[in-house]
Amino acid sequence: MMDFLSQHAMYVVLVTILLLWSGIALYLQRIDARIGELEKSVDR
Amino acid sequence: MKFVIMLSGLVGALVLMHRPRRIDEQKPLWWRLLVIASVGLTCLLGIFPPLAGSITDVVVQHRADSTKAVPALVRVDAVAGTLCDARDTRVSVSFITSEQVRATLVSIDPSVAVIARIRRLESDRSFELSELVTVAPPLTMPYIVGLEERARILFFHVPMSWCAVIAYCLAMIAAVRYLRSGHIGHDEMSAATASVGTLFTVLATTTGAVWAKFNWGTFWNWDPRQTSILLLLLIYAAYFLLRSSIDDEQRRARLSGVYAIVAFATVPFLMFVLPRLLPGLHPGSADDSNIGPLLSPRSDAINPTKNAVFGLALFSFTMVFAWLVNLRVRLARAERRQAEFQEAA
Repeated sequence: MMDFLSQHAMYVVLVTILLLWSGIALYLQRIDARIGELEKSVDR
Repeated sequence: MKFVIMLSGLVGALVLMHRPRRIDEQKPLWWRLLVIASVGLTCLLGIFPPLAGSITDVVVQHRADSTKAVPALVRVDAVAGTLCDARDTRVSVSFITSEQVRATLVSIDPSVAVIARIRRLESDRSFELSELVTVAPPLTMPYIVGLEERARILFFHVPMSWCAVIAYCLAMIAAVRYLRSGHIGHDEMSAATASVGTLFTVLATTTGAVWAKFNWGTFWNWDPRQTSILLLLLIYAAYFLLRSSIDDEQRRARLSGVYAIVAFATVPFLMFVLPRLLPGLHPGSADDSNIGPLLSPRSDAINPTKNAVFGLALFSFTMVFAWLVNLRVRLARAERRQAEFQEAA
């Protein structure tokens, strides 16, 4: 696996970007849920 | 067809920005999952397909750098010692290779397309096949001499700058709506779109600078495109300074609304006109052969696979933009309501 990745730098870029995007997606999803709760409490 | 694919990605995302619920309401879970999935797919399709050029690309590359082998999509007859271009079988040439590679090639059906690293030798009829990269690739990206893997920036850098233009346009529309109605929700929308638009402009500038380092030699060289985007950033930095310097809500909304309209008047000039009037290194400059692969009316200016992935990338990044605006505008409204509630208490 490491040999394959060291020979194909493009797949290292792909894995890095996918990891980065997964982190951003989780973060966005969490903020969305928290704002949703804040909206509910403000409406009450 | 080229513009239909690009515009359908853009228009689809703009419709989903306002449907099924308004931009200032929480979007359903499927909508959020669609954004995550489409960006993931853009990353996969933008990076995963290997580069595959043609025999012509091998010849053109030889003129630029005779030592460099080009990954080309070919059909190889190892027994006869010939290979032909997979996209144009009329182009057939002879080749030499190592015994080890030849042994692998003999086991592959000559009708199957493969990607192999090829270098031109002393004539346009003799080539060297140095390495077999992939057998029967399901999807490939074109090889562009001089750009190679760096051409993939198209799927990330360009949609971000297009999103920034859309953002500033939406900020201007929301500002007009505020000045007509006086409803503070429109001002919140204007500020949210301008701030996310500025984030996208910063990201487009940064990705462009990193690309410039590896393609032009330096991160920043005052190319007309880089200079105009810097001016645009300064104009919108002044917008946020203006907003932060006024405490009164209605006065801030009125002044920044007028500023957002005036600021947008510069956007078409700085993004589309100025970089095309002056000579520069960025694609689409005045001394370029066309106005860039995306906007050129020639249908062969961009490869169909690249065009489709670019359409998907445009959709994905516009959806991310819509989600960020949705969060910003809802947060601003919740904060305002909380402040009103505290004042009333």
